Amino acid sequence: MLKQLRIPALLVITLLLLAACVAAPPAAEAPAEEASMDEAPADMSGKVVIASGGNIRIGGSFALTGPIPDPGLNIRHGAELAIDDLNAAGGLEGFMFELVAEDGACDGTQGTNVGNKFAADETIVAVTGGTCSGETFGLVPILQEARIPFVSPSATNPDITTPDCDVCNRVALSDALQGATDADFVISDLGFTKVAVVHDNSDYGKGLAEIFQSNVTDMGGEVSSFEGVQVGDTDFRAMLARVGADGPQAVFFGGYSTEAGLIAQQMTETPGLEETTFMSVDGAYTQQYLEAAGDAAEGTYISFVAGADSEDMNAEFDAKYVEKYGVSPDDLGPFHSQSYDSVKLIAAAIMAVATVDDSGNLVIDREELISAIRSVDAFEGLTGTIKCDSIGECGAGGVQIFQVADGAFDQVSGFGME
Amino acid sequence: MAPSRLTAQAAGVNGKTALRFLLRAFGAAILILVIWRVTTVGLAEGYPASFWISQALNGLVLGGVYALVALGYTLVYGILFMINFAHGEVMMIGGIAGFFALQFSQARGWMEGPWPVVVAALLLIMLFGMAASVLIGVALERLAYRPLRQAPRLVPLISAIGASLFLQYSVLLIFGVSPHSYRKPALISGGMRMGDVFIPYTGAIIFFTSILLMLALYFIIQRTKLGRAMRAVAEDRATASLMGVDVNAVIVITFMLGSALAGAAGVMLGFHNTVVKFNSGFVPGLKAFTAAVLGGIGNIPGAMFGALILGLIEAIGPSALGIPTEYKDVIAFSLLVLILIFRPSGLFGEVLSEKKA
Repeated sequence: MLKQLRIPALLVITLLLLAACVAAPPAAEAPAEEASMDEAPADMSGKVVIASGGNIRIGGSFALTGPIPDPGLNIRHGAELAIDDLNAAGGLEGFMFELVAEDGACDGTQGTNVGNKFAADETIVAVTGGTCSGETFGLVPILQEARIPFVSPSATNPDITTPDCDVCNRVALSDALQGATDADFVISDLGFTKVAVVHDNSDYGKGLAEIFQSNVTDMGGEVSSFEGVQVGDTDFRAMLARVGADGPQAVFFGGYSTEAGLIAQQMTETPGLEETTFMSVDGAYTQQYLEAAGDAAEGTYISFVAGADSEDMNAEFDAKYVEKYGVSPDDLGPFHSQSYDSVKLIAAAIMAVATVDDSGNLVIDREELISAIRSVDAFEGLTGTIKCDSIGECGAGGVQIFQVADGAFDQVSGFGME
Repeated sequence: MAPSRLTAQAAGVNGKTALRFLLRAFGAAILILVIWRVTTVGLAEGYPASFWISQALNGLVLGGVYALVALGYTLVYGILFMINFAHGEVMMIGGIAGFFALQFSQARGWMEGPWPVVVAALLLIMLFGMAASVLIGVALERLAYRPLRQAPRLVPLISAIGASLFLQYSVLLIFGVSPHSYRKPALISGGMRMGDVFIPYTGAIIFFTSILLMLALYFIIQRTKLGRAMRAVAEDRATASLMGVDVNAVIVITFMLGSALAGAAGVMLGFHNTVVKFNSGFVPGLKAFTAAVLGGIGNIPGAMFGALILGLIEAIGPSALGIPTEYKDVIAFSLLVLILIFRPSGLFGEVLSEKKA
């Protein structure tokens, strides 16, 4: 018997290891060194030279698969529309912009793969993305080594921008702000004193849950339980039974749409949580959340890191979006405007540093471009005034809090309200 | 030469005894550790009885699903001595097919009709999901396994893993990456509340339907001519074929039975957890395999009880050990490793083991 099962057993263990890799992407530090070796020739010149007739290639890391494929596609659309607009305005000195879209899958391992792909491609000038924080953590060390600047439209983990990383920028607002605002809302506005915190073990969800937790504790609230789940789980009943045993007044979930929706739904079936308030975050500010939660979505709270939208510009953008893709941008996800602005910011920096040499080639110095992104003059984007600070926080706006009413998000507090 | 060989043999025997002793000590250590955790940490939390009952019920529902899928593993192993690693995907296909059947019946308003209409529609949805799974299961057997039946045992196993990935990514490409959300009809939404224990209707349906299906399967195998043929092929394929049993037909029917059960599990899980997507069969598939090994692979009652035990351990384990619930998969798969080390023939032993060496 032992002998017979040995091979299946080995296979199972291999499969389990595979599953472990899928579930918990390891820290994406290692490949950075390889990437730097691949990139040696590009580093020596330190310039991107585009021959006449070539395109200015901007890489894009989008979460086209993984837990939030619709928002990922939405962000890609936003970037494509920005490229269209740039080219319709004549490009740069006759050179057209081009988006090189890759699937970052909302996952650190895949982010690393995409980063390596871009680092090995000498024609990539800059990168927009990644969509998720974990994916972006995969990109960071590789792009830093390869001297390719990136601007993320939607990665909100606070640690993505640090004084040590000069290529890291983002248009989205940091979760340091969102976590604090959410905690303030739950404790001060809703008047709760005892909340449970759940996260999905992603860099984004867990990071945000920890910020929320520490803010709640600082404000004198009690965190009755701090539980983790996995991205892709569908049965949260065992976890919720445990959360419910402590009788919290609210459950806060840091994570993405589907898990958030299912937790909201299964809470209504858990003794002790039937009437408990549910709150989640920008990762769940989607139609997918409403779909997954069904009727249980009613009355739940969702926060979002919103831009300071100018209505005229957004109306024009929405019209172009509907014309090109046949759906309203808000049906797919929330970050399309940030994505548009991210590409616009990159393009503005490229325009500031690109020069045409004697033989008609467009020359972009990588180091100059990296510093140019942070010194681009403030411009009005779809999400407000875009201007980077010294560590690469370029976004404008603030945190909004929505409550679901009649199957739609209805703003109840936060940025932009009187 | 002779003395040295004898010494080597003696050393081998000593080595084996020592190894066995070490393993026993290791097992005992784990057991003591678990008991220590449960008594000092798990029970010290002071959860009320209703909490443990709720968790046990959650576990029984999970166990019911695992049992239906585990039976597929065990049936195929019993007859072909191979692990059909694409079986989790067969279940996922059932869930996806059930989703589209549900959409079809919702579009026709059957889900809002009087309760006999809803029940009939739900049965149809389940049958449709089962039919889709049967189709995929039979195709798998015909295309991925039958051509390799004479090959070494590792080969069909690799083919199964390939088939599993093929099915996952075909579904991804055809039906998209976004999860599909089941909309429960009002009839089976919500549940019964008894004191502090809540039983969702879908959970109760899963548990009782799986028991019913398992009884039906047991009846087919023990009491019908077909079942006798299956048992004969399991015992000795060559002799069975000499006795006039159509071995190929029996193997196909075995795949059909296993796939039908998996399809039913897929649809019911869809209604219970309300989302299905291309990879939602992967983890339940591995868990069901664990359950089959736990009960003794090839052993039908073993798979049923193994699955229920696994479900219970997964639901109660984290709370009893006083560790976060996110470790439920760690507990389940540690159990698989421990079983493979200490009792590779499973808790209930393998029924037809002597012919398989």
